[in-house]
Formats: sequence, C-alpha cells, structure tokens
Amino acid sequence: MVRQLLSVFASLLLALTASATSPQELAREIDRLIDANCPKELQADLINESAFIRRVTLDLAGRIPTASELMAFRDSDSLTKREDVIERLIESVDFTFHHRNELDTLLLRRLEHNDKWRGFLLEATQENRSWDHLFRQIMVPEDGEDTRPAAFLRKRLRDLDSTTNDSSIIWFGVNIGCAKCHDHPLVEDWTQEHYYGLASFFKRTYQTRAGSVGERFDGSINYTTVYGESLKSKFMFLTGTTLPEPDLKLAENELKEIAAAIKKVEREDKAPAAPRPEFRPRSQLVEAALSDTEQDFFARNIANRLWARMFGRGLIHPLDQGHSENPPSHPDLLDVLARDLRDHGFDMRRTLQAMALSNTYARGAHAVDPPPEKLFASSLPRPLSPHQYSLSLLIASSDPNKTLGLESDLDWDRHREELERRSESVARQLEIPEDGFQVSVTETLWFSNHPQIQSDYLQPRKDRLVGFLTSLESDEDIVRTAMRSVLSRDPSSEELEAMTSYLQDRTDRRDDAIGQIVWAMFSSPEFRFNH
Amino acid sequence: MNASNNPSLSRRSWMRLAGTASAATLASDLSGLEALGSPELSQSLRHSGKRVILLWLAGGASQLETWDPKPGRATGGPFSKIQTSVPGIEISELLPKMSSRLKETAIIRSLNTKIADHGNAYQLMDTGRIAEPSLKFPHLGAMIAHELGQRDSQVPDYVSMYTSTEGRRQGTAGFLGGRYNPMFLTDQMMPANIKRLERISDVDHRDRAELRNLMASIFERKNTHPMYDAHNSAYERVRGLMASDHLFDIDREPQSTRNHYGPTQFGQQCLIARRLIEAGVPFVKVARAWWDSHGQNFETHQELCADLDHCMAALLDDLKSRGLLDSTLVITLGEFGRTPTINGSLGRDHFASAWSCTLSGCGIQGGTVFGKTDEDGQKVAEGEMNAGDLFATIFAALGIDHHKEYMVGSRPIPIADFDSEPCHDILV
Repeated sequence: MVRQLLSVFASLLLALTASATSPQELAREIDRLIDANCPKELQADLINESAFIRRVTLDLAGRIPTASELMAFRDSDSLTKREDVIERLIESVDFTFHHRNELDTLLLRRLEHNDKWRGFLLEATQENRSWDHLFRQIMVPEDGEDTRPAAFLRKRLRDLDSTTNDSSIIWFGVNIGCAKCHDHPLVEDWTQEHYYGLASFFKRTYQTRAGSVGERFDGSINYTTVYGESLKSKFMFLTGTTLPEPDLKLAENELKEIAAAIKKVEREDKAPAAPRPEFRPRSQLVEAALSDTEQDFFARNIANRLWARMFGRGLIHPLDQGHSENPPSHPDLLDVLARDLRDHGFDMRRTLQAMALSNTYARGAHAVDPPPEKLFASSLPRPLSPHQYSLSLLIASSDPNKTLGLESDLDWDRHREELERRSESVARQLEIPEDGFQVSVTETLWFSNHPQIQSDYLQPRKDRLVGFLTSLESDEDIVRTAMRSVLSRDPSSEELEAMTSYLQDRTDRRDDAIGQIVWAMFSSPEFRFNH
Repeated sequence: MNASNNPSLSRRSWMRLAGTASAATLASDLSGLEALGSPELSQSLRHSGKRVILLWLAGGASQLETWDPKPGRATGGPFSKIQTSVPGIEISELLPKMSSRLKETAIIRSLNTKIADHGNAYQLMDTGRIAEPSLKFPHLGAMIAHELGQRDSQVPDYVSMYTSTEGRRQGTAGFLGGRYNPMFLTDQMMPANIKRLERISDVDHRDRAELRNLMASIFERKNTHPMYDAHNSAYERVRGLMASDHLFDIDREPQSTRNHYGPTQFGQQCLIARRLIEAGVPFVKVARAWWDSHGQNFETHQELCADLDHCMAALLDDLKSRGLLDSTLVITLGEFGRTPTINGSLGRDHFASAWSCTLSGCGIQGGTVFGKTDEDGQKVAEGEMNAGDLFATIFAALGIDHHKEYMVGSRPIPIADFDSEPCHDILV
C-alpha cells in the first residue's frame, strides 16, 4: 500500500509540471523516455517506407494499405509524409470503424454480437467521444435516454463475479479475481475486502425488461474470510478509499412499494420507471474512479491499453496486473501518458497519434537475439485482429488498379462501410488473439481447404486481384503486383525467382497458378501479423 | 506413414511401420535433452504411447441405473442389479455386457462435485476446477494433448466428437492456446476442411504449401518470434492432418469389426476413436447425449444404457485384443449424476452430491470399486472425491505428475486443482 501511495504522490508531483502541448511533443517525450532505458546499440533500425505504411495503416485504419496508397506514399517527396499520413488516417472514416471494433472487442468480447451496441460505439468514435465520457455512459446507462450502452452490464449481470472482475480488468487494469476466496496470495495490494468492496458497487444493480439497468435502494454482501470471520462489505474502491452510505430514511411500506415497482420494471416491457435511490453505488464508483485523487487506475489503464495496442505489449504487462508487485517497465512514461490523457480530456485519438509519430513505433525487428521485449528496442509482432485480418484479405484481393483509399472522401466512406459489412462473417469465425496467441490448425485447415477462401479471395474475376493479374503478360509483373497488393512491398530476387518458376511450371493452368502464389502470400506469417 | 494410404498392406505391417515411426519421433524428441537420466527423460518415457478416450455422457447419466444400483429401496427404481465377473461387485442389470467385462474397470461411486446445473457442472467436470471469470482453464483434452502430444504431430492430438445437443458447449484449450484446441466432428464423421478441394490437384496443393513455407522462412530470417513459429507449425501440420483423413473412415475396417461396434452413431464414433488412438492421437472424446431424464428416467436409461453398454464393451474388447488397453485410459463420465429421489414425472433430476464414473485400462486397477454411497444413494458414505481428485487420478494413471504447474502470467496453475490427490486405491 505504501508503494501505491508513493506512486500516487509521484504522479501528483508530475501533474504540476507542464505537459506536452502537441502530439509531436508527446511523441518526442515517448522516445526520450524509451531511449533513456535502452542503450542505442540495442535498438533496431527504423523501418523503411513500405513497412511503415503497412504498419501504420493496420494500426490506424484497421486494414493493410491498398496498392495505390502504398505507391502514393512511396512516391511522395514530402519531408513530412509520415506525419501527413498519420494525420490523414487518424481523421479517416477507417479509423472510426477500426477504433469501434477495438473498443467492442475490449468491452464486450464476444459475449454477444450486438448491432445496436456497435452502432452506439461507432457514433462515439465518429465524434471522438472521450474515454471518461464512454465510461460514464456505459457504467451508468440509466443516466441517459439511450439504452444501447447498457449492453456491457446487461451481458454480465447474471453473475456478480463477472461484473466485478470484468469491470475491474477493463476499466482499471486490475484483476482481483484471486482475492475473492482469500487475500491475494502474491499481491499484498488485493485483499478480500477489496474484492467485496468493488463487488458491492454492483450488488444492487438489476436489469429492466426494456433493456436498461437500475439500482435497488439497499443490498450488501456478507462474506466469510479465510479465518472464518463474517463481514459485511463496504463500498470500497481499489485505492482503499471507502464511500460512506447515508442512512436510508424510508418507512417500511415505502420500501415495499419501491420493491414492487422494481419488480414490475424487471418483468414488464412498458412498466413505469421505478424510483431511483439517492445513493447510487455505480455512479459513486464512476465518480470516485474519475476523481482527482483516485483516478490513477483509470488513467493509467487506458494509457497502458493504448500503448499495448500500438506496441504489442503493455508498459504494465500483462494488462490486468496493475499492482505494486508488477511495476511498469517505464513508470515515468506511463505517468506522462496518463497525465497527458487526463490533461486532454481522455482523447484517445491524440494519444494514438502521438504514439504513431514516435521513433519507437517505427523500429524494425531483430533477426537474432532480440533484447528483452520490455525495452521496446524493436517492434513486437501483433496478430491481426479478426476484423483487421478479414478486411485486409478483402483489400488485398481487390483490383489494385482502383485508387482505393485515395478516392474522394464520400466514395471511400461508402465503400469502406460496404467492406466493413462484407468482412463481418469471416471476422466472426476467427479467434480473438490474446497473450501468447497461437494460430490453430482449425484456422490453417480452413484457409487451406475451405471453398470460401477460393471464391472470396482467389477467383480470377475481372474486378479482383487475381483477375487483374491474369491480364498481365509478364510473370515478373504478376509477382510484383501481387506482392505489393498483399504484402505491401516489392519481392526480393529470390522470391521473384521462386514464384515466376512456379508460374512457368504451370503454363497449362496459369489462372490457378496465379491464385496459388497469391494464396502462398496470404498464408505467410508476414500477412497474418502486424510487424 | 504413407503406408497407411496403401490398402494392400496388412494391418500388422502397418502397425510395425507406425511403431518404427513413433519410435523415431520419440528419439528425435529426446535428442534435445542434455543428459540421459534427466527427470524430463524419464517423464517422457513414462508418457510415451499413453492415450485417453473419454466417453462423455452428456446431460448426466443416472448412477442408480448404471454403476451404483439400489434395488429394493424407495430410490431404487424398477431395475435390479446383477453380479459382475468380479465377485462382490454388482451393477445395474441395464449393463449386462459390461458386467462380464469388469476386470479392466474401476468404478468410483463417491463423487461429490456439488454443482448441479449443466453449464457450470460441465465446466467443472471438463476442466477439473471451478470456473473463474477472466481466466480460461483448458479442458482435460487440451491438457492431455499438451502433455502427451508431439509438437509437430502429423495426426490430430485432440479430437472431439459431440452431438447436436451438446454443441453449445464446445470449449477450447483456454490459456494453453489454440495449438491445443480440439478438432471437432459435428454432424459429419469427418473433421471440417480436412479434404482438398477438387479444383486443386494434390501436387499443386503440396507445392503451394512449399511455396508458402519458403515465403515464411524468408520472412523469418529477419523476424523471430514464437508466434511466427506457432503459425508455421500450424500450416506445416495441414498436410499431415489431411493425410489422416483415412482414420475417420470406418469403411476401411473389416465388416466384422464394424458389426462388433454396431450401427449406432455412438458405436461408429467409438470405432473412429479406436482408429485414432491406434494411430497415435493422444485424446479423443466421444459424447453420447442426452441423458437429462427429468421425466421418464427409466425408459430413457433403458435405451441409452443399452447403447452405452454395447459400445463401451465393444471398445474395451477391441482395445484389449489389439494390445492397446494397457496404454489407453477409457474414462466414462458426465457432468453429474441424477437424484436418487424419483420425481412426479418418473424422472430423476440433476444430482452432484453422490454419483459415479468409471476408469478402465491404462494405469487402472481393474475389477475394483472405490467409495460408497448410503443405502438410498443420497450421500457419500465413504471415500468422497471431488473433480480435482478425479483429475489427479486420471493424470496419475497416465504417469503425469498431478502437481505439475502451468504459469499463466505470474500465477501458477496446477494441472489438477489445488489440494487434490489421486485415488491410489484404483491405480496400479
């Protein structure tokens, strides 16, 4: 606990110093703090243009670049082209879809596929709604008219442990699941009191038939400690701060009436709204978590999650282990990012932009003996998310002659929405990658033998990549064009040789052979990962 | 292994080839170990060739109509018990074939697993521990695949056959990762995507995979990470898995063998399970549904027990005659048992406080009964076991240290739940 207080104190001190004003300055601050921790000779070189445009388009647009975007970027003479492309992507409609998909995966996992909820998130990303605003809307949906954000709680309410744990992990980066049955065996920070303290904020929540949530006027948790002592839970936040509950001044018959009204909204679609208590634990939790003195968990968690999204690993790692026994790899950097988020109204777009602008983001990989991952001396592979993968397959298999992604805004917006829809069914079949992700044989067998792969991505149709390739005369052109479309780079001479000779061995079935070399590119790890 | 594609080779010569191949694989696995006599080595040797078939009684079979009958009691129901081939052990008359084959089987009559709703009980009996939010525990099959499988195995290492009623609960390898996910057989008797499309010839399919391997290896010259390795090994296993399609084809079995297992889907899947085991697949689950007899318990069990009795007996016979039973553990288990009290619809409801399962074959002291319930079967009277103890027993029978731990982040997760102990009374 002492250490925790110290770190709160340290971040308060830092908060007094001025924070970066532009994303560019924040990017420089990121590099300074990463470099300070890592000898120069350990750092990998910066990646080339082709690799950069692929990486940053995947991260900010949720897909690989189209062949035209790749070529336009490579051909540009602008000295600020990296900055420019980052700005273009982060303001694009692509970003709003991608960021929506990322938030959906984080918040709802696959507990359900809910179009209304996804619509709500899309509106939020379109107007760049701040993370604290989303937190309020999602955790206290009954404060607004919109029932869509209630999906987060609704999907978890059947089980108080899920509500407690998932909320704690997702919003605060803390997994206190172990502390339910006993004080955490490894982490002195988490006791049963913390677990039940947090659970008590959700204990009174109920679901209404109409699809929102409400709160009862009373209810607490009685639990037994490992020492056999019976205790009643307090409203206690992770920092140990407890919130006093005012006495309930209601007569018994009033309470009965309230209970009846609540029962009605739980059962009936069109029941009149039930009364809401003055003391509302969930709102209390949200306001406490966002208050100046307590908001470290909230701010550091989102900073850490955005960092992990862009760099493949958290500054606190694993992402749900934010406690004193597992300090951040770069405490100063985490504080800077958390403070910057706070000072700029939890604007996630700004943070992502700054990260993409840093040199740390643009590092290459080590061929052998990579230094420890936590130094961020080289890039870490990130498996494509189901949506990134599915969309990238669609982009890569499109006709490379179209100036996709560079068209006038309106056309691309419409096309992008269409791609989003078309990518959905494949995306839903794919596993959401987690720590230590392994591609399964279920996926590789599917990609090797399912008719859909052939029909969706390899058909020699006119408006598709393979169709376009069949119209080219020279085998070298075929390979070069395919490589740019699929792997966003030019082939090496070794690759060129292997693939042209593959084609030459199959002149009697050229269309199929072209589909096969494209398949070999799609199924390479180079395509399956962001690297 | 190509020999298996050649129908003119006799089974015996194929077995000999397969034996050589697996010996070679084992040797290559061990070559990385520095010293003979290291604990890892003896561990590997103890595991080698051990296999598991799980006969999963989805929905929960009644212990009173199977392994722990109570005829004559108010809870006993209409069926009587019969003497088995092991003096002193009696089971329900609904299992006549098993009664004459009990020498290979240990009955556990004292499971008290407490959880009696399908979802949570399934989770408990499939992972050996109570579910925790935010941590995905691996299923038994995934742990066995992890412990007994070969990393680059050319055959699947966890095959799961289930019926539509059970399809809602597929389960995954949890924190062990996608490498150990089961290969499912759902409505068909063949796993999905294991057959080549007609459009591509076998040669092109192979060459295309080789071109992929080349692309991957060029990429990996400059990029190293275990995730890339896992990706490659999942692709490298594709051709091998496709070549194992014959394992799922029971038409290759002599008619007499197919007759032995019978015409039911459960019987056919048991036969597939035996074929898979024989080819080196470490874990196969065959599910038989749906035992959830809240009404008409006795008619339901009359029908389902006949299938179970026939198929389990056929499977044990077949494994034994092929010399596979010593290395194959057959587990017959469901998510819970059924209430001794008979309800108003002549059904039995969910019951997890005193129920039964069986273990046969590998590492098991056959012809034994462990534990005891009271006269009416309402409570465990002796030898109470929970899910963790059962899992520890399963691991011990296979020579896997039940204290072994997986690290999930910084948290150690023992392979069998904390404080569980194997039941030595039924282990060899």
